Amino acid sequence: MGNKIIIAACFVTFMAFTLLLPWPTFAAENESLDEIIGGFDDDTQQTAHGLPSEEVKPSAFSLNGNLKLGASYNFAHDKPEGNGTDWRGLSRLCTKLSLELNAKLSSAWQARISGKGTYDFAYAIRGRDEFTDDVLDNYEKELELGETYVQGSLTKNFDIKIGRQIVVWGKSDNIRVTDILNPLDMRLPGIADIEDLRLPVTMTRLDYYTGDWSLTGIAIHEIRFNKNPEYGSDFYPLSIPPPHEDKPASNFKNTEYAAALNGIFSGWDIAFYWADFYNDMPHTRLVSAAPQQTEWKHSRLKMFGAAFNQALGNWLLKSEVAYIDGFEFFNSPGKDYSRTDVLAGVEYSGFKDTTLSIEVADRQINDFDEALKLPPDYAKEDEFQWAARLTRDFLNDTLTLTILTSTFGVTGQDGALQHFSTEYDITDSVKISGGVVLYQSGNLARYSNIGNNDRLFCEIKYSF
Amino acid sequence: MKNIKKILTLVLTVFLMLLYTVPCACADNPEARAIMEKVDARDDGDNQISDMEMILIDKRGSERVRKIHTFSKDKGEDSLKLMFFQHPADVKDTAFLTYDYDDPDKDDDQWLYLPALRKTKRIASTDKSGSFMGSDLTYSDMTSRNLEDYDYTFYEKLKETEVNGVKTWVIWSIPRSKDIMEETGYEKSLLFVRQDNFFVIRAKQWVCDGGYLKYMDVKNIERIEGIWVATEMHVTKKKGKDTVHKTILKLRDVKFNQNLDYDLFTVRRMEKGL
Repeated sequence: MGNKIIIAACFVTFMAFTLLLPWPTFAAENESLDEIIGGFDDDTQQTAHGLPSEEVKPSAFSLNGNLKLGASYNFAHDKPEGNGTDWRGLSRLCTKLSLELNAKLSSAWQARISGKGTYDFAYAIRGRDEFTDDVLDNYEKELELGETYVQGSLTKNFDIKIGRQIVVWGKSDNIRVTDILNPLDMRLPGIADIEDLRLPVTMTRLDYYTGDWSLTGIAIHEIRFNKNPEYGSDFYPLSIPPPHEDKPASNFKNTEYAAALNGIFSGWDIAFYWADFYNDMPHTRLVSAAPQQTEWKHSRLKMFGAAFNQALGNWLLKSEVAYIDGFEFFNSPGKDYSRTDVLAGVEYSGFKDTTLSIEVADRQINDFDEALKLPPDYAKEDEFQWAARLTRDFLNDTLTLTILTSTFGVTGQDGALQHFSTEYDITDSVKISGGVVLYQSGNLARYSNIGNNDRLFCEIKYSF
Repeated sequence: MKNIKKILTLVLTVFLMLLYTVPCACADNPEARAIMEKVDARDDGDNQISDMEMILIDKRGSERVRKIHTFSKDKGEDSLKLMFFQHPADVKDTAFLTYDYDDPDKDDDQWLYLPALRKTKRIASTDKSGSFMGSDLTYSDMTSRNLEDYDYTFYEKLKETEVNGVKTWVIWSIPRSKDIMEETGYEKSLLFVRQDNFFVIRAKQWVCDGGYLKYMDVKNIERIEGIWVATEMHVTKKKGKDTVHKTILKLRDVKFNQNLDYDLFTVRRMEKGL
């Protein structure tokens, strides 16, 4: 009896399993002949001749660009106490025109001039008196030279690129460990245009290629730092203005240097990096004790780093490591500190039209002194960060969904943001996008007071 | 004894379940395979450059256009392919480089240069069932297939038929494993092979997900420097009889034997642009 029950159960399971499976259908059994070989559109006669070739000589010059209108709406702020800026409601209504002129000078040489101009109507609409001069000067309007360079080949194996440019190091997509050459626009974390996130700097770059390897030498002539939230903006963490910032001049003496050795092989890549550069983030320095006067100063750092990635089926494994020496702190004058940064990540592309990536990084200050935790340094011995990104295309790539979370501390106790957005191609030239960014305040100084900056955003973009 | 019966019953059930999860391994027909070997061996040229235009048409009739400049070169049995996207403006200068290895045990190498990020990304994806640039072609349609991954048999009721006045063989192409189905995204395909030049001029493909059918139809075929090239092809994705999406793919300025340098098929070249 027991066996019969087992057999009956197995049979039912088997039938259920079988019915749920996608059966390999064989047309001859299910469909008529016409249905099998039919279904094609009109039977246009095949011809022995193709379409006439369009002999269009490519122009030596091409002008491209885009025009954008974007808006943001803050929905999590409370009414300010006293005379503080009221950040509720419309926080951005910005138009931006980006232009890029490319010139093909010869088969081996080319040049580019690019730039952008922005104007944010939100400040005029809300009343310019509500904002600090720092905010108005840095957010309301902007005219900026973008990538502008000449690039060419000196020999078959030797390339040179001179001018304002962007050089991306490392293999990770969401967390920067070895990608230290270009400063970032950090004014609107989680919402800045990806193409505008890195700020170009003037450099001379030489590349030598041999087999699977390339050797790069870079001299950075323009000393440029991150664009950080300005005093009075909703992402500025303190209620007092920062001290004077001592920015090194862009001269021969202050030139930054960098070198890289890149290997690209079947299934994997490896890169080694070295750089002698200024810290993008300043530290506070005591200028005089009485009266106490401080200033922001940028330390000169040295970095040794490496990056590696390997493709395994649908998986891409990523790792980066950097040893950076030369950090200075207010609370430990006269002493330099080093930091070791390690990143590991994985990207999975096995789901149709979908990419999922997760990266974790840890930045550890070596020989940490407890005094560094005190203001104004607010340093952490260990800074742990993880980021996850999901992108999926729908409707033949006309609709893209992106979910990104960037979290400091395992549970976001040091600060976090979550970005949810969708982008839709109305035509080849016009795209609309929109979404929401949620912020979580945390122990990191720059994330200490951002929790109520949650905002909705939308944008329309015309490309030409 | 009871336990042995239980175990045997369970083993039998699991075996039957597994049997049904494996696609039906239809007997491979040597004559059909011989034809497909000739299709595979047909000279498809080397050192090729061309301009590709893809017109993507949705079910409402709205059109989008993709223009791509392509270079391809053989390296032994492997194929190298470099594509520069020219249109629309927001993807201009995006480049895609593929090393398509003949060895079925070796994954292809793929890199994508994204000018907006100024970054070249390695793409790790053995799953090639995703849409190529929003078209109705998949990445698997853009790479060569290994004959050993498929069984070939003649269509049971019609070994031969005429397509637009040209005699063709009608051949089933059935993946031999579920892995190949998942990688390519196709459950099976019915191929129409021209008898005079061994060119697949039509294919009906059963898509694994969603119950879609795809109809590939070569509308123009041209002999360029002695090599047959499909210069216009329509790929229509249907559900039942309703067209869901359609892609018209045109090739212009196709040239062979251009003596392309291997240095062209490098990340260095992708980043420098055309």
